Amino acid sequence: MSFLAPLFFAGLAAIAVPILVHLIQRERKRVIEFPSLMFVQKIPYQSVRRRRIRHWPLLLMRALAIALIVAAFARPFLRQGAAAIAAAGGSREVVILLDQSASMGYDDHFTRAKDAARSVIGSLGAGDRATLVLFGRNAEESMRATADRGRLEAALDTATLTAGATRYGPALKLAESILTQSQAPRREAVLISDFQRSGWSGAEDVHFGEQIRLIPMSVAGPSVTNLAVPSVTFTRGQFSGQERITVTAGVSNKGNEPATGVPVSLEIDGHAIETVQATVGANASTSVSFAPFTLAGPTMRGLVTAGGDPFPADNSFHFVVTPDRPVSVLVVDGGDRVDTSFYLVKALGIGTAPAFQVETMPVGRVSPAALQNRSVVILNDTMLPPGLAGGALKTFVEQGGGLLVVAADKATWPQNDDLLPARLGAPVDRLSGRGGAIGYLDYSHPAFEVFKAPRSGDFSAAHVLRYRTLEVGPTDRVLARFDDGVTAAAERRVGNGRVIVFGTSLDDSWSDLALKPVYLPLVHQLTKYLARYEPPASWQTVGQVVDLSVLLKGRAERVVVSPSAVRVTVPASEPGLVELSEQGVYEIRPAGSTSAAPADRIAVNLDPAESDLAPMDPPELVAAVTGRAADVTPQAAAAADVSIEDVEKQQGLWWYLLFGGLLLMAAEMLVSNRLSRQERFL
Amino acid sequence: MAVSSNAIAGARFVDPTVLSRIGNLELLARNIVDGFINGLHRAPFFGASIDFAEHRGYVAGDDIRRVDWRLYARTDRYYVKQYEADTNTNFTVLFDISRSMSFSSGGVTKLEYGSYLAACLAYLAQRQRDRVGIITFDNEIVTHVPPSAKHFNMVLHTLDRAKAERPGKLSTPLHRMAEHFKRRGILLLISDFYDEPAEIFDAIKPLAFLGNDIIVFHVLDPQEIDFDYDNASSFEDLESREQVPVVPDAFRTQYRALVQAHINTLQQKFSEQRIDYALLNTTEPLDRALFSYLSSRERLMRVR
Repeated sequence: MSFLAPLFFAGLAAIAVPILVHLIQRERKRVIEFPSLMFVQKIPYQSVRRRRIRHWPLLLMRALAIALIVAAFARPFLRQGAAAIAAAGGSREVVILLDQSASMGYDDHFTRAKDAARSVIGSLGAGDRATLVLFGRNAEESMRATADRGRLEAALDTATLTAGATRYGPALKLAESILTQSQAPRREAVLISDFQRSGWSGAEDVHFGEQIRLIPMSVAGPSVTNLAVPSVTFTRGQFSGQERITVTAGVSNKGNEPATGVPVSLEIDGHAIETVQATVGANASTSVSFAPFTLAGPTMRGLVTAGGDPFPADNSFHFVVTPDRPVSVLVVDGGDRVDTSFYLVKALGIGTAPAFQVETMPVGRVSPAALQNRSVVILNDTMLPPGLAGGALKTFVEQGGGLLVVAADKATWPQNDDLLPARLGAPVDRLSGRGGAIGYLDYSHPAFEVFKAPRSGDFSAAHVLRYRTLEVGPTDRVLARFDDGVTAAAERRVGNGRVIVFGTSLDDSWSDLALKPVYLPLVHQLTKYLARYEPPASWQTVGQVVDLSVLLKGRAERVVVSPSAVRVTVPASEPGLVELSEQGVYEIRPAGSTSAAPADRIAVNLDPAESDLAPMDPPELVAAVTGRAADVTPQAAAAADVSIEDVEKQQGLWWYLLFGGLLLMAAEMLVSNRLSRQERFL
Repeated sequence: MAVSSNAIAGARFVDPTVLSRIGNLELLARNIVDGFINGLHRAPFFGASIDFAEHRGYVAGDDIRRVDWRLYARTDRYYVKQYEADTNTNFTVLFDISRSMSFSSGGVTKLEYGSYLAACLAYLAQRQRDRVGIITFDNEIVTHVPPSAKHFNMVLHTLDRAKAERPGKLSTPLHRMAEHFKRRGILLLISDFYDEPAEIFDAIKPLAFLGNDIIVFHVLDPQEIDFDYDNASSFEDLESREQVPVVPDAFRTQYRALVQAHINTLQQKFSEQRIDYALLNTTEPLDRALFSYLSSRERLMRVR
């Protein structure tokens, strides 16, 4: 048994107090006048003193309570325990989690974070090992479990800011896996971050074991001022046959002070278009509209910047504008009636996003050339185009085209052809009552997904008086059924293309579907699905992965140039997955192209959540991860060796002594109260 | 009103505590003494200052006028009649007014008790035409009223004004008194005698050697005898102001033994010196004190 502060034992002198109280002090409280102490003084004094201590248990309790409290202040610890801890707990396994997300670019946060990491590395003892983990949206080990401080510091020096979002979950999971595998008796994860609240949803399934401690080190400042441009919107218009675009930018202020006279400027292809002064209230947003500009090229890049603050990354917003590309649709009908495709053409003519470029053609005139540059072919109540056109249509579908077959009165299909998802059967009349209706829709299908929500399209309102029975193959997908269970629509994938057959007419001859409100979205959805239409993305977010083959509708060898001018070649044999890790504009050129104009551009912006710098309370995160309150200060954790202070702290004997002392005091109070009730004077 | 069960019938002596309410000492003394005397039926040996004492044979040189001629006629021998000594003797109260006399455990103080006692005895003496005087003292003489037939009121006044304020010591004032007393008389010494017996006798001896009749009243409070305290306390000496922690339970037996030994020693030594000694408790009625005085007077007369 040793003591951390043995000087406190001087306090044992306080034991004299109760003894004096027992011997002298309390008797002196009452003075009795007596004529003469001549005889009293003749009685031996020593015997009197000894006999005056009448309550030995009380005296002992008081003395023991004082002794225990004094011993508690002297902070005792067991040498044996210290040796055990020093022997078994000397080495540490430390995982340094360094936040390198975009938000760490605020002011000098990242520099301070690196300094903090350096101090943790500096505190490593001889037997300690550390892992440096850099994290943003994802986490990666920059340096795996090493005791070499030099290598750790070198890895730390190469750490740079990224444009990624903040997510604590992956980093903490990585730390957990590293520390769980470690055999070191003391395992610690040091999280150095600005503790953005947006980085922690609370739903991450991270839980540290009992042996693992999480030490938060926050570099967040007490207050922040931050302007951000989270998004832009475009309004397209036509002027003199050219497309004109009006850009409206949103500007948000995350600070507690209003921002006045913020210059918000628009650049298109590097040319400044306009600068507008804006005023944004504290914790508020506003929108700024710029003058419209003419869309001159196939892809034009734009940049909106707003003011300046300690976090410049989110003050600029990149985007790419492309000309509106209409979906080309060929409607093939029998040609015997003028208005066969009336409803269909009118419905498709209404669309603007996307716009549909519709051409109607009798089946007899369909040629392979007519299928060129088409996205979708609709066979509206007619047969498969005869001759070469039939084969061309098949090729068209296999190469990615879309085919919609409307099976009504005159629709026929060769028996041996496997393009159609179903065999066409005989027409069925539903003349009794109110007729038939479409009773089932596969809402999980992309084409019908928009109708899933309540009051998003009432198909049952349409009266179907007649329809063709469809015998669907086992590999085909049924999209809709009539109320009697007969298939109303089915889909088959052929090559890269899609074929859908619809079991009743899309005009007013067999049903009144064309007169119902649901008709227009139904036609649009089917056509967009078959055309594999994707709305052009004007920008992406950092961290997203794009598939170039999907984006550019085809495979070829391409060169991707990142905003920091890093060139990556994507061979044609690969799908071309590119992770967008930088803020700015990616340029994608065909390999070997010498043209100055890039083939395509992808604008990439920060995650809008990174602009919200509001920090969370680090102990909150610690409590969520460890299941216990943060009990470790960074300074204590940084101690290199197991000091006797640590040993004493871990053993915590003083607490028991203090508790015992206080308990004795309470007991003493009870006893003395009881005794004093029995006799007026102790 | 407490009545002593030992009191002679008719002598209704009130409790000293009640007496203390009577402001006038003369009235008090008269009440007590008259009541006492009435109850005593006037003892024959009392107040015979010119009374016949005895006959003795005539020797040459005797005054011829003292020859009892009637006896000569019967017996044909010359006898001389002897009478009591001078009737008007000096009656002096020596009253200790040291601070210890101010002690009281609840009733009257020893000083008050001593005052009543002195007043009563002075009244008795004055009634038989003795000259009364008083000397109060602590560690020195405080007041001196010489014995005189006219000084009774002064004695009462002195008793009334006496205050126990200073520490006392018997030897110094008594030695000075011994130098002062030229004429024999009755000395009534009232004190609590907190001194060593040897010192007390050293102080009293000179007075005794002068031929004075000394009557000693040892006045004590009951607590001084019984030491009947409950709790451990600090006891403070009234005279020296010294404090001593005391646990009465532990002390009592030894203390009582010491006090009793002191009293016994005094009693024994005083009787050896033919000094009349009476221990008085302040809760006792005064009749015992008066009776004690009178019996001693009787005894003195008989011895003579």
